[in-house]
Amino acid sequence: MAGDLITILFNAMIWAMATFLVASGLTLVFGILHVLNFSHGGFFMIGGYVAYTVLSTFGAEIPLWAYLAAALVASVAMGGTGIAVDTLVFRRLKSVDGVYVLIATYALLLVCDGVVKLIWGLNYLSVSPPRELLDVLFLGGAIMPTFSIFVVVSGVVVFLALDVVINRTSAGRILQVIAVDPWMAGIVGINVSSVYRWTVITGFALAGLAGGLLVANQSLSPDLAGIFILQAFGVVIVGGMGSVRGAFVASIFLGLVEALSATYLPNYPGVLFFATIALVLIVRPEGLLSRQATS
Amino acid sequence: MSIARVRPAVFLPLLALLVAGALIVPHVANRGVVFLGGVVAINVVFGIAFNLAFAKAGILSFGNAMFFAVGAYCAGYLVTQQNHLPFVVILLAAAGCGGLLALVTGLLALRRASGVYFAVITLAVGALVHVLIMKLDFLGRNDGLIGVNRPIIDFGFFDLDLARGDAYYYFIVASCALLVTLMWVLWSNRFGRSLQALKSDPMRASFLGIDIDRKRLIALVLSGSITALAGAIYAPWAQIVTPELAHWSFSTMPLLFTLLGGSAFFLGPAVGAILFGLLEYATRSLVGISDLLVGGLLLAVVLSVPGGVLGLLATLLARFRASSSPQREERA
Repeated sequence: MAGDLITILFNAMIWAMATFLVASGLTLVFGILHVLNFSHGGFFMIGGYVAYTVLSTFGAEIPLWAYLAAALVASVAMGGTGIAVDTLVFRRLKSVDGVYVLIATYALLLVCDGVVKLIWGLNYLSVSPPRELLDVLFLGGAIMPTFSIFVVVSGVVVFLALDVVINRTSAGRILQVIAVDPWMAGIVGINVSSVYRWTVITGFALAGLAGGLLVANQSLSPDLAGIFILQAFGVVIVGGMGSVRGAFVASIFLGLVEALSATYLPNYPGVLFFATIALVLIVRPEGLLSRQATS
Repeated sequence: MSIARVRPAVFLPLLALLVAGALIVPHVANRGVVFLGGVVAINVVFGIAFNLAFAKAGILSFGNAMFFAVGAYCAGYLVTQQNHLPFVVILLAAAGCGGLLALVTGLLALRRASGVYFAVITLAVGALVHVLIMKLDFLGRNDGLIGVNRPIIDFGFFDLDLARGDAYYYFIVASCALLVTLMWVLWSNRFGRSLQALKSDPMRASFLGIDIDRKRLIALVLSGSITALAGAIYAPWAQIVTPELAHWSFSTMPLLFTLLGGSAFFLGPAVGAILFGLLEYATRSLVGISDLLVGGLLLAVVLSVPGGVLGLLATLLARFRASSSPQREERA
């Protein structure tokens, strides 16, 4: 029984941190630019494929440093793509109704799908976890693969890093100012458009990083973007749009929902998840934790 | 951009032209193209029903696939399991199911959220419907419903066998033309104008005595039930109903048609659906290119021609008229 409970909690944390890794960049960009970016899932997916390409030079045995380096390469590549997307798309949509922005980012997602299908094809590709992380730990009857522990730790580290930057540094304070009132921030001498650019770069780099870190967590296919973007949307919405802390808490909450439904309703995967999101949205459309929104 | 009015003198000839074009297809093209033609006709209804709520009432739904799928599944289930029912009753049942789903969604979400938030709620509800459809035994789970035969309509004095030849294609063209006409009436009459008023200035509209929440709810229910009807007409045409119809990526199709053609125009989604059909046909064998093309096109439209193809034509026409009119020459 204790083993079951630990297994459920552990599975919840794996789901939660994998989803948080994707959702962190999404919620950051939404908090500052107020752009709900459908294409985030697409750039996450491309990040995964980039890491796959880098890692395929190492053969079957991948050292941990190479795995991390590949994630970094994916992150830098997507951050660079972020500059292009910001210039070509986001800046030109500043004065447009939010509905059209949503549609434009969906179009970008389709472009990402097309790029992946053209370059990497339709087949499922997979990467094995780094050779240092192929072990399994036993804890009170629960089985914990070390790679899954790595995913959980990565999520927590990314959260702590973001939280420190947003709440403990001057750059973070500027971000909070712009999130509240960009016009006033411009008046007091903050270069708002440069902050916007760096936010997009960071958001996209986080998507690439998530793609690289999670590349061995699931197989790669052009469906990956759609699966993760819905999960990440759920986390961002339930956590209160734009809040990094909210997204972190919401990812754990929804991870528990997902793990419980996988254990007790194994024939209906996803039903409880989407029902929970719909319920939360209907009861509190602004999200569960919006009052404590940090950015 | 202001919403363009469509006068009967303009609309009826255009509709006749579209119907005539659709009727020629079986005589000049092969069966594959005829099938695509039927799908495009259904997509025209799918798109205009979406735009009725979007352009007129300002409701962005990312869940229209669920209405379409509910209609298709309702028709598919009744045709395969309860085939003694007349087809017209089946169609009405499908429209009722779609309307009911829209009513529930609207009652729960429309008052609390608008714009992007409402879009995301419909996305979540649509995902829930998709998962449920994939898991329900009587709806065939992942495989969907197969063998949805084209029905025979009993008129009492004679039977209309829609399974024979291209009969069902003509049935699609006729029923879609009927639905488009119905939506044109809704678009142009007092109800449509009151929707437009509440979209452009909700506060003033409510001062004028328009019950905003009620009107928006009615608009969503109408859009949902007409979309479900389109789905119900689609089921016997494809003869198979699969869960992909309820997938959220399918919800973005009417959006695509609308923006491509021009959301300010009643026939904008129709133009978009036809253009998209041609585009899909031209790129059908190229893996990856079609996504790239559709995505790039949609992006280009949103970024540079937000009025869509018809908006662009209208602008060019206005410019042409201005440059060729004598008044302009006098001023110059």
